[in-house]
Amino acid sequence: MIEQPLPALADTAGLVRITILQGEAKASADPRVEMSTILGSCVATCLFDPVARVGGMNHFLLAEPPRHVRNQAFDSDYGLFLMELLVNEMLGLGAHKSRMRARVYGGANLNPDLSPIGTANAVFARQFLEREGIPKVFEDLEGVQARRIQFRPAGGQVRARLVPADSAPTQKPLGRPQSALGTVELF
Amino acid sequence: MQTSNAAPIRVLTVDDSASMRALLLGALSSRGFAVEQAEDGQQALEWLAANEVDVIITDINMPRLDGFGLIEKLRTSALHADRPILVLTTESSDEKKQRARNAGATGWIVKPFDADKLTAALRRVIH
Repeated sequence: MIEQPLPALADTAGLVRITILQGEAKASADPRVEMSTILGSCVATCLFDPVARVGGMNHFLLAEPPRHVRNQAFDSDYGLFLMELLVNEMLGLGAHKSRMRARVYGGANLNPDLSPIGTANAVFARQFLEREGIPKVFEDLEGVQARRIQFRPAGGQVRARLVPADSAPTQKPLGRPQSALGTVELF
Repeated sequence: MQTSNAAPIRVLTVDDSASMRALLLGALSSRGFAVEQAEDGQQALEWLAANEVDVIITDINMPRLDGFGLIEKLRTSALHADRPILVLTTESSDEKKQRARNAGATGWIVKPFDADKLTAALRRVIH
């Protein structure tokens, strides 16, 4: 599936390739940058501000809920953090939230014997964008196959391809990283 | 500032993210706080011109008036010169933390927040 096709491979010389790993969010206005990621049950959000020509991608998997949270299957607070991180990275490069447009990918359920965390990720991404008023111009979510996503943040072009399930890294809910435990510092 | 045992602590949260506002509202209301919310620094200033709170929690990156600007403006007002203001942000740079401190913030909390830690910080800064 291709939409807003990327330039032919012959035009890719000089590209700066950045891999977006699980738990990361990065933004750029550099036309030489191409971000890529491989998704199984994770979701990648590609945001683009067409006026500032700034884009960014995150790659998230809802984490396990913190120990004190017993009534949630997944830690949606952590997903919210990764979404906000992406938005703020873009704001720092001159983007405006009111101009952002979203394309979302991933959320597959690769193993029918496991909990459908891919669907949970997809539902979370849709709800976040709707609540934040960020138009979702395209989605390729859920299903049972892994995806490879390439994104040129300065132009907003995306290429999404289905890839063999074993291409996707093992993705399972993890606890929040130590750097995301709500550190409090009083001055 | 009235913070008697009978009256709930009044908190104003300032954040342009509807998702974060909903999260804060749920976390604080369920722990007994009286929560008011503003979508950016400008709306917070306008609300505070006619209302009182015990403590303010503000994000940094917001349209119209950001968290730094909000804190600086509040600190020029005698009414809010000593009002506890906690910054709740995804920003992790020391430079921005220092800027918040210089503007007059009372504390710095990094998202994603832990509701129990946030609650403890709120109770601590108003006493």
